[in-house]
Amino acid sequence: MAERRVVVTSAVGLHARPAAVFVTAVAKAGLPVTLTRHDGRTADARSILAVVTLDVKCGDEVLLRAEGDGADAALDGLAELLANG
Amino acid sequence: MSSVVVIAPLTGLIVALSEVPDPVFAQRLVGPGLAIAPAQQRQTVLSPIDGRLLKLKPHAFIVAEGRTAVLVHLGIDTVLLDGAASTLLAVEKQVVRAGEPIMYWDPALVAGAGLSAICPVVALDAPPDAVANLAHGEVLAGAELFTWRERIYG
Repeated sequence: MAERRVVVTSAVGLHARPAAVFVTAVAKAGLPVTLTRHDGRTADARSILAVVTLDVKCGDEVLLRAEGDGADAALDGLAELLANG
Repeated sequence: MSSVVVIAPLTGLIVALSEVPDPVFAQRLVGPGLAIAPAQQRQTVLSPIDGRLLKLKPHAFIVAEGRTAVLVHLGIDTVLLDGAASTLLAVEKQVVRAGEPIMYWDPALVAGAGLSAICPVVALDAPPDAVANLAHGEVLAGAELFTWRERIYG
């Protein structure tokens, strides 16, 4: 299990457009990835609806988790995307 | 197998998502659907489907029923207006019917602020071919916009 903690910097939080970019990147990674908020609520990061419903705001720290071959490299890329929103 | 008819949340001219001046919507990264260039008058924005008002912001909302979720984004970068063009008529988490008023919205205020008032209406988490029967030309709020053939995809 690979994990990364990252602070989301998109000015509007993970709403429609930044969420779509993030979910597209998750799909490209080809691994099941989850996104967890500070309060423990967790979403399937492959679903825009799930990610948007999580209501992640700018400045919130989130936890990314993935399993499988290439999980570390995939999470590095996804964490960078969220950190440079 | 069932499908959901998505109705136009507002009145205007239908344009392809590829015409939306935002690459994330234009490339359909948010999902497939259509956009409406709104008639330049204060409009009552309607729910596009039956469901729960999962998210409600002055510049965008999502109505969802099960795995069928439709995003209506009122203009591009309109989060910057901080609600100035909108008067909410519903509350988040409320159960709504297709055609139920969600807010008043004034596209002229959006255009006056130098922003695009074009409104993507998008099926979330749907593959590109999940939408069919796309309307074209002028559309009135409440008229059929497209059909979401959702449950084929489980």
